[in-house]
Amino acid sequence: MKKKKFSTFLTIVTAMALLAGCSNGSDNPQQGASSNPTQNNKQTEEVTQEAPTKISIMTRLHTAEVPSDKLEKLIEEKTNTELDIQWVPDSTYNDKVNAAFATGALPMVFNGELNTFRSAIRDDQFWEIGKYLKDFAHLSNLNENVLRNMQVDGKVYTLYAERPLARSGFIFRKDWAEKLGLDAPTNFEELYDMLYQFTYNDPDGNNKNDTIGLTDRSDMIYGAFKTVSSWHGTPNYWGEKDGQLLPEFMFPQYIETMKFFKKLHQEGIINQDFPVTSKEDQRNLMITGKAGAYIGTMPDAVGLQTELQKVNAEATLDVFNRIEGPEGFKIWMATQGGAGFLFPKSAIKTEEELLKILTFYDQLMSPEVANLITWGVEGEHYTLVDGRTKANEDQKMLDRELKPYSGAIAIGGLSTIPGLYQAKWEDPLKQKAEELVMDNVDFLIDNPVAPLESLTFNEVGARLQQMINDATFHFILGEIDEAGFQAVVDKWLADGGQKIIDEYTEAYNASN
Amino acid sequence: MTYDKSWGSKIFDSVNIILLSIIGLVTLIPFVYVFAGSFTTVAELAEKQFVIIPTQFTFEAYRYIFSTNTVSRAMGVSVGVTLAGTLFSLILTILMAYGLSKRDLVGRRLIMFLVIFTMLFNGGLIPSFIIVKELGLIDTYAALIIPSALSAFNLIIMRNFFQNLPEGLEESAKIDGAGSWNILLRIVIPLSMPVIATISLFYAVGYWNTYFQAVMYINDVTKWPIQVILRQIVILASALTGDTSDFGGDYVAPPEQGIKMAVIVIATVPILVVYPFLQKHFTKGAMLGSIKG
Amino acid sequence: MSQPSTSTATLKSNSDLMKRILKNTALYFMILPGLLYFFIFKYLPMFGLVIAFQDYKPYKGFFNSEWVGFAHFERLFSESDFLMILSNTLILFLMNIVIYFPVPIILALMLNEVRLQLFKRFIQTVVYIPHFMSWVIIVSISFVMLSTDRGIINELFVAMGWEKVNFLMNSDWFRPMYIVQIIWREAGWGTIIYLAAITAVDPQLYEAARMDGAGRFRQIWHITLPAIRSVIVILLLLKIGDVLELGFEHIFLLLNAMNREVGEIFDTYVYTAGLKQGQFSYSAAIGFFKSLVGLVLIMIANWLAKRFGEEGIY
Repeated sequence: MKKKKFSTFLTIVTAMALLAGCSNGSDNPQQGASSNPTQNNKQTEEVTQEAPTKISIMTRLHTAEVPSDKLEKLIEEKTNTELDIQWVPDSTYNDKVNAAFATGALPMVFNGELNTFRSAIRDDQFWEIGKYLKDFAHLSNLNENVLRNMQVDGKVYTLYAERPLARSGFIFRKDWAEKLGLDAPTNFEELYDMLYQFTYNDPDGNNKNDTIGLTDRSDMIYGAFKTVSSWHGTPNYWGEKDGQLLPEFMFPQYIETMKFFKKLHQEGIINQDFPVTSKEDQRNLMITGKAGAYIGTMPDAVGLQTELQKVNAEATLDVFNRIEGPEGFKIWMATQGGAGFLFPKSAIKTEEELLKILTFYDQLMSPEVANLITWGVEGEHYTLVDGRTKANEDQKMLDRELKPYSGAIAIGGLSTIPGLYQAKWEDPLKQKAEELVMDNVDFLIDNPVAPLESLTFNEVGARLQQMINDATFHFILGEIDEAGFQAVVDKWLADGGQKIIDEYTEAYNASN
Repeated sequence: MTYDKSWGSKIFDSVNIILLSIIGLVTLIPFVYVFAGSFTTVAELAEKQFVIIPTQFTFEAYRYIFSTNTVSRAMGVSVGVTLAGTLFSLILTILMAYGLSKRDLVGRRLIMFLVIFTMLFNGGLIPSFIIVKELGLIDTYAALIIPSALSAFNLIIMRNFFQNLPEGLEESAKIDGAGSWNILLRIVIPLSMPVIATISLFYAVGYWNTYFQAVMYINDVTKWPIQVILRQIVILASALTGDTSDFGGDYVAPPEQGIKMAVIVIATVPILVVYPFLQKHFTKGAMLGSIKG
Repeated sequence: MSQPSTSTATLKSNSDLMKRILKNTALYFMILPGLLYFFIFKYLPMFGLVIAFQDYKPYKGFFNSEWVGFAHFERLFSESDFLMILSNTLILFLMNIVIYFPVPIILALMLNEVRLQLFKRFIQTVVYIPHFMSWVIIVSISFVMLSTDRGIINELFVAMGWEKVNFLMNSDWFRPMYIVQIIWREAGWGTIIYLAAITAVDPQLYEAARMDGAGRFRQIWHITLPAIRSVIVILLLLKIGDVLELGFEHIFLLLNAMNREVGEIFDTYVYTAGLKQGQFSYSAAIGFFKSLVGLVLIMIANWLAKRFGEEGIY
């Protein structure tokens, strides 16, 4: 009896040990790459072929496919590097970065948000790369203004990838507009008129009162609100007034915007449930032909039109961006420089290594490599037509082989890499959308607090902002009036808002 | 088995069946909607919000998902992890639950308290990450199993079942000279198939749903289990990624509605079919024969 | 039961203790792997709890971050919305216990009474499908159904001549919607444990009860329920430990500007106030507070259960 019990026990313990044992034997590429970065980099001058630089990168994965390493290998060849890329699904990216940070397991390069890492940067955890940039042929082309917005205490620690600055505009049913004899709206009267007619004048001609003008969703920033707000002339998050920096909701233009939405809601011109509508459902309203207009990212129009035409082959969309408000043309600029590629000192031990990594990034900005990483291999992922690229139609292949790299590894962009190809768009809608996105650059309003820091904001900013967002919805739905809104603003001030104003104003005056 | 043939009993039965049918319908319909939707064309989905039987049957969504081996491989990983993990967890749980079910075990109360304490207090993500890293489990399949091997909840349930077994069984076995291991293996386990089946199901579902641990502990994308891939697809389908210009240089088109539904079907159907197989263990009076015999 | 406090008596009780321990060595071996697991993966990481008392920065680590004592707790309690959050959480918890908790039990009893095996198995399988649907799906389907813009439910109301109800944007409907969604998703899954327990009931007891003239309800009350009583108690106790722990994802998806005053719970508060701005310590402090309350309540509930003659969970 005793023997049997003991042997069973032994078997179980051995099984456990085996399980734990087999796991130790498997590859740990991550540990290998980041713990011995210096080994292969020691070169002697006599060796003509330098050993490839090992670089580990952690970045977000925003495709649904596991990235193939085809492009990775090509880049390695061209830049004489050995890349170890850690892809992290976007939703858990922050957790993973923090865990890596806390355990000293950060890779050599990773994409991080400045707000999160500011204090770590101040604590000398990262390399200041700003001073080296001018020594590199391509890196020196990076835009000074953008880099300045990314400074921490006057120094630059990050590389950035160019993002379009302002992509929002007005997307609407062209066929409906034509039927009703309307042109693209150029000011608020025409905008309101079009939306009204889309709702009440039976634009789809089926004699039923089943359409609405605008479809919106609960997101106040990427939904319609912020865009319409800038058209009204509201500052971009913060604006200057009487020598102070004040938040946008303390400006009369913000109130005007709220009133505009309130009117749309009361008159049934906007989907009644927009405060609880998701982006999917918002798009659905356009796709199923219930709504006539969508205010958001203009390039989205292409996807919308594709899906719309599957339901209604005759429907067409159009885009427009110049809606003139009381203060002329204005559009909010996406914060360029909220995040960038950081270089932790825990993974990069010497300046020598850092320079090698910067060399790699410099090469990424050379036209040849930049085109490779942005567009792929000519003939496979794209073809050149009149000097512009026409992407391969196989979306899935692009998602797998190209998109992860072009979206999350590349740096710089069209304005900083001369020689970088531009896309040739066959679809006139896409062409127009992209052109208008460029046109938006003419009347951008930027966010003055982007390069500044307010400690109180870091602590309670998000919570306070939620209060204001809630109040905005309440106002639009008619649950509170202007006095009620003002009461919330007063509470915002009392609960820490005033401090934030003071801190930002001080920092702003100091840097100017 | 003689059944009650009285009127009251018949009415009871009828009402019961009607109510259960309604409940069954209410729970089934949303899933049928998703299941049908995965086989419907985009056009039809957009037109009619609610499709139960598609007029145009299509495999497009599934073809899209399986066109690369990403999903198949991830499924393989999930199946492997689920099978190995469930077995491993079962062994640990049965052993510990049995030991703790003996009322005369010294220190029993203390140990139970310590176990329950862990259900309430958690050191957090980073310390767990550190432990897993120090054990060398990063980037291994074992990282998906060992750190989540024992569920205190499952342990407590199983212990409770063992505790409720009639004492007479073990007494008579002890008199015949059987030791604890023998009793456990020969008597207790065969009699506890209902709870073992139940706990296996709980563990299997837990392992099948592994997401967070996979993303945190595994860097090699080829080792990702199915939930990671599927969640990416669903998030992309909600079309949110096109907006925030902090990343995503080029527009990534969202997969269509039908694909999102196919994803749900793929993620849940495998584990769904497990329960009916386990149901055969839920037979009544399993215990009776052994007491009488 | 009182022992004479002489040295011989203590010696004797000590050697009794040793005997009892030695008698059960096999059992100790059995629980050893599990104990190891809990020690390594649950207790070792508990040092992480200290960040609730620090100003934790990941790069400084656990030992070098500044200590702030109870500052975070003070901040939590002085938060103007603290009472609102606490009461929301407690109310939702009570609804969970009072309304949701009995449902799986009743459902299990109903299923148990079915004679037709095929029907029973079919319903059993079907009823636990919702558990596998993620909250994202469930909430989005609910929204589509409850919307005032072409939502099915409201269309039905209109067809019956009633007025439309604004379920989604009216804070009065938040709590009912929450509990109905929970019931729909979890009730079926919850029956599994109870059904497993019911298998231990001797079918002959029912016959005997019938002979004594007991109707169906009495049979259930006197035979089936007592058989699963201990399971009910255990699950209830465990649920009480979860007092401040409500499903984050579920509520987060339901929350909006209109229902925040009834829907904001600790987890969603932590998300905005803590995690979004990288405030680990504050989040940890709130978690600590929740755990503490849960612990105290479980201890009280366990003691109460024992007073009522039940075996507690420890």
